[in-house]
Amino acid sequence: MEYNDNFTNFHMDAIREVGNIGTGNAATALSRLLGRMVDMDVPVAEMVPIYEVAGHYGSPETSVCAVLVRTEGEFACSLIFMIDAEKAAIMADLIIPMDISGMGESEQMSIRDSALAEQGNIILGAFLNALSKITGWTLPTTTPAVARDMLGSIMDLVASMFGVIGESAMLVKTSLHVKGLDEELGGTVIMIPDPGSLECLLAKLGVL
Amino acid sequence: MAQPIHVGMADLVVSKHPASLITLGLGSCIGLVIFDQISRTAGMVHIMLPDSREAKNIPKPGKFADTAVPLLLEELYKLGATKAQLRAKMAGGAQMFSMPGRADNAIFAVGNRNIEATTKMLGAAGIRLVSSDTGGSKGRSVEFSTETLKFIVKTLGTGTKEI
Repeated sequence: MEYNDNFTNFHMDAIREVGNIGTGNAATALSRLLGRMVDMDVPVAEMVPIYEVAGHYGSPETSVCAVLVRTEGEFACSLIFMIDAEKAAIMADLIIPMDISGMGESEQMSIRDSALAEQGNIILGAFLNALSKITGWTLPTTTPAVARDMLGSIMDLVASMFGVIGESAMLVKTSLHVKGLDEELGGTVIMIPDPGSLECLLAKLGVL
Repeated sequence: MAQPIHVGMADLVVSKHPASLITLGLGSCIGLVIFDQISRTAGMVHIMLPDSREAKNIPKPGKFADTAVPLLLEELYKLGATKAQLRAKMAGGAQMFSMPGRADNAIFAVGNRNIEATTKMLGAAGIRLVSSDTGGSKGRSVEFSTETLKFIVKTLGTGTKEI
């Protein structure tokens, strides 16, 4: 818990602002990619007890699709773009320039997964670009990894990352909403700075 | 049928028969059950990490394999379980994301390390692991009933199995 107590409201505001700038850029990138307006919510930065991380954004059994990208170097951080499983297909189909409904189920899924990986890559890459601009850090990214699974099992990764050193996890979440479609479509960008990297980010922003 | 008891992250729950113990959405974590096959006293722990030695303090011993297994046994003995009748079943330890060339990365391989550490702790304690469903890349929800002594493992897409 001592690790949690180091962060004041002032620090949380600074981290939220990073989320704001990053997701703003991500929303713009997604908007360009889809040729549609994309709105974003106000980011929420919070310290969550690791034992509650799995159920923090919904029931742990909710079926979701998640794209994960990491940057490691001067600053290490994971970024997740998460979307409800049934919305993921709609999102993917927006950039698939052909009708794939005649194909087999596993083929469809593999095409959609790669479309989603690309969308996630563009969204999360834009986030990191913005972060790179405000910090001056070069932030090389890994190739995107896609998982379709239960929300809880995906968030397990976050819990165990933070669990090694402490009892709570720093999560910065922003929701994106794609406009101009019949159906509500959107996803969530979650920034999860590696435990040791938070201080490093705050120092760079001049607030530590 | 007993009301199911949810075993959250790093939680450790023991109960006399009849009981139903469940854990939802296990990713890299492990759901470990140890039960007395005669009295049906059982306990479940939701293990998050393999090794407590890196941790500064351990508010919840259920969090680490090396502290969870001894504590689970101790709690079972308190409820009158007999060592020779104890058996274990476990599920979990998946690797949710795979990154090319990064399989050995400590962050992504935590599932595997959890499986290894839990298996080793059971071996050291002399508890026989009778069945398990571990590894892979899919999350699991698990339910253990002292009625059947079966571990029901659910995964998205591939359905349900009993171990």
